[in-house]
Amino acid sequence: MTPLFSALSSVIARRWLASVALLVSGVACDRLPGAPSSSSAPPRGSPQWTLATFDTHCRGCHSMADEGASIPLMDRSYWTFASDAHVIDATTNGQGGLMPAFLDENGGPFTADEIAALARGMRTQWGGSVAGSIAATYTAGNAVAGGLVFAQSCGSCHGPTGTAGSLLDPSYLRLVSDQGLWASTLAGRKALGMPAWNEPMPGRPSGLTPGEAADVVSWIASQRPGGRGGAP
Amino acid sequence: MRFLAGALAWLESRSGLGAFIKPLMSHHVPRSATWWYVFGSATLMFFVIQVVTGVCLGTMYAPSAAEAWQSLRYIDKEVPAGWMIRALHGWSSNAMVVMMAIHMLQVFLHASYKYPRELNWITGVCLLLVVLALAFTGQVMRWDQDAYWGLGIGASITDRIPVFGSQIRDLLLGGPIIGGETLNRFYALHVFILPGAAIALVGLHMALIMRHGISEMPRPGAPVRPASYKKEYEERMARDGVPFHPDASQRDMIFCGVCLIALVVVAAIYGPFGPGGEPDPTLIDTNPRPDYPFMWLFGAVSLLPPASETFVMLVTPGVIVLALFLVPFLGNAGERAPSRRPVMVLAAAFAVIAIASLTWEGLASRWSPVMNGWSALPTPAQFVRGRTPLEMQGAVVFQFAQCRNCHALGGSGGQRGPALDDVATRFTPEQLTRQVQQGGGNMPAYGKNLSRAQMDAIVGFLSTLTPSYETPAAIPGAMLPLPISSAEPAPR
Ligand code: HEC
Ligand code: HEC
Repeated sequence: MTPLFSALSSVIARRWLASVALLVSGVACDRLPGAPSSSSAPPRGSPQWTLATFDTHCRGCHSMADEGASIPLMDRSYWTFASDAHVIDATTNGQGGLMPAFLDENGGPFTADEIAALARGMRTQWGGSVAGSIAATYTAGNAVAGGLVFAQSCGSCHGPTGTAGSLLDPSYLRLVSDQGLWASTLAGRKALGMPAWNEPMPGRPSGLTPGEAADVVSWIASQRPGGRGGAP
Repeated sequence: MRFLAGALAWLESRSGLGAFIKPLMSHHVPRSATWWYVFGSATLMFFVIQVVTGVCLGTMYAPSAAEAWQSLRYIDKEVPAGWMIRALHGWSSNAMVVMMAIHMLQVFLHASYKYPRELNWITGVCLLLVVLALAFTGQVMRWDQDAYWGLGIGASITDRIPVFGSQIRDLLLGGPIIGGETLNRFYALHVFILPGAAIALVGLHMALIMRHGISEMPRPGAPVRPASYKKEYEERMARDGVPFHPDASQRDMIFCGVCLIALVVVAAIYGPFGPGGEPDPTLIDTNPRPDYPFMWLFGAVSLLPPASETFVMLVTPGVIVLALFLVPFLGNAGERAPSRRPVMVLAAAFAVIAIASLTWEGLASRWSPVMNGWSALPTPAQFVRGRTPLEMQGAVVFQFAQCRNCHALGGSGGQRGPALDDVATRFTPEQLTRQVQQGGGNMPAYGKNLSRAQMDAIVGFLSTLTPSYETPAAIPGAMLPLPISSAEPAPR
């Protein structure tokens, strides 16, 4: 052995190797900076947690009444009819073709407890209690009667020549589920000019009745090419 | 003690192991072989680390599409020091590629590939290819969204191979699409086929080193003459050589030791790679950033005009590999000193600069996607107002298909692709349809991933993206504006 090598090895071997080995051994391992962190996020269910979770996972599609392309979950009008059970169900399993499922078992990022906490948190944040005057989930009404309601109350905005754009476009109808139509019709988009179901609208100064709402959504859904059923 | 010696002697007489190892340790190497010669050994060390950590991971990794990702999470979180093994495997893989490149560069600059060591170089190039293939298939093992993307791009490249493209793709992916079969194929490649090939090639590479000896440091004015080189080399070694161990091996060991410590430190600080988001075939993920060894290729593709892509992606790698194989045959005699081979030195410098700057291009921040853009960044008010229901759904599809991760709207979103605020001034609806269906640049083709209705909607939405897009002035029969305050969210 050359002097250089033996000198180096005796020093390195005794002290350094021992301490490096100790450092890397399981004991200290979890405290190294590279260890995947078990994050120190705000506790689940806290308002900060709700907002942060919503901001990263939901807000891209569901925002306020004047921004975001889908149902405005940050708008109070949604929460007057949406029950916790329905919100949890939609978040767990997804809805229609464009709302992903968020439960871990369905390929999403959340546990069932987290989804329930998120639903409760959102209601505290933007909602209030459910008014109970109309069901959260859609049940088909009378499509024929609904045609009349549409002509009277929606047509001026949503008919083929309506300025809010047609609801009857075949591609549009293929992309939304019946439940999606229901929720949009009930919640409205005030800032964009779409009244909530129980607000004044053409031909109906005090809004729709629950029956009329079901009828009109049935009629819109019946216009979908290939009949009922909704998005894939 | 005497028993031990006896046992050793027995082992030796039956196996001949010592007789095999002794010449390896004591063969003479040139005295001039200095610190320049340590890179090959360091590459070998990283390879050994890969094998060891790889075997450890193999005991815990579940190579099935349904469980792979979970099993990595398990290794990271539950297995004591499991994450460290993953970190070592990941970083050592990168370090091995880098060390290999340095080794190659040194061999190239010193023209050590000249007579009689042409085959050393060729087995080395084969090793490079195998190691890159290991790196790529290793990235797939993570089975996260990066892996999914990398495969998607890789599959679309193979698809473009003339005549046999789709057959080769089916062979690699185990079907026309990326599915459970795909992971099994890549697993077989990553843990059996490629490591087997690598071990065989390393053996061959070593055998050739033993056969031809290590080249001396090049001296200007001492050209290689194939007719007399071998004889002269052997004479010089006998006269002036030093035994490999400990004269040369001590440098190897010190350098390897330093590399090992650096590796452990880096692994401890930066941790394992991924796994990123769980792959979901219904979502095309938009972080196509590959692992470091392929970053330069990624940077190159991003700079190309889309029309030249097929040609460049298929032809360039072939040309580069061919050129590497031809290196020893273009000049296997003559001067070895870099000072006498200015063209070769320039070529090497060009290659280094090109790879470095393309890697930088691939890494540069303006490329960075916003991974949760699709679910976090709402369509801004100015792009929602006045749109028809179909266009609104188009905006939802835009989020759902994660376009937002790469494209900004109203100043928020990924910077990988161009901002689309005024895309309708640049593209007609037909052109938009084609771009979305066929992709281009680093944008994937969404043709098969979007339904006709989704395509209709998204093109409808994109067609409204002009600065002058006006809300229809008034909605006949509309109610008076509602009190806005009730539409505002609670203060946050
Ligand atoms: C004052 C005009 C107006 C009236 C009346 C009106 N809407 Fe709307 N509606 C809008 C506007 C504006 C939007 C938001 C922009 C868009 O989606 O076109 C909208 C959106 C919708 C949507 C959601 C479209 C989407 O993005 O998925 C549905 C569903 C809908 N309206 C149903 C109805 C129904 C049913 C009626 C009749 C009961 C009705 N609307 C009456 C203006 C109106
Ligand atoms: C990619 C866009 C997108 C994201 C992200 C998204 N959603 Fe949705 N969501 C939709 C669409 C589109 C619908 C309507 C689907 C339909 O029925 O046609 C919907 C529907 C819903 C509904 C049901 C509405 C009703 O009453 O029928 C709920 C509740 C909901 N989403 C909650 C969430 C929550 C909570 C998150 C975040 C964890 C979230 N969504 C994230 C697109 C999205």
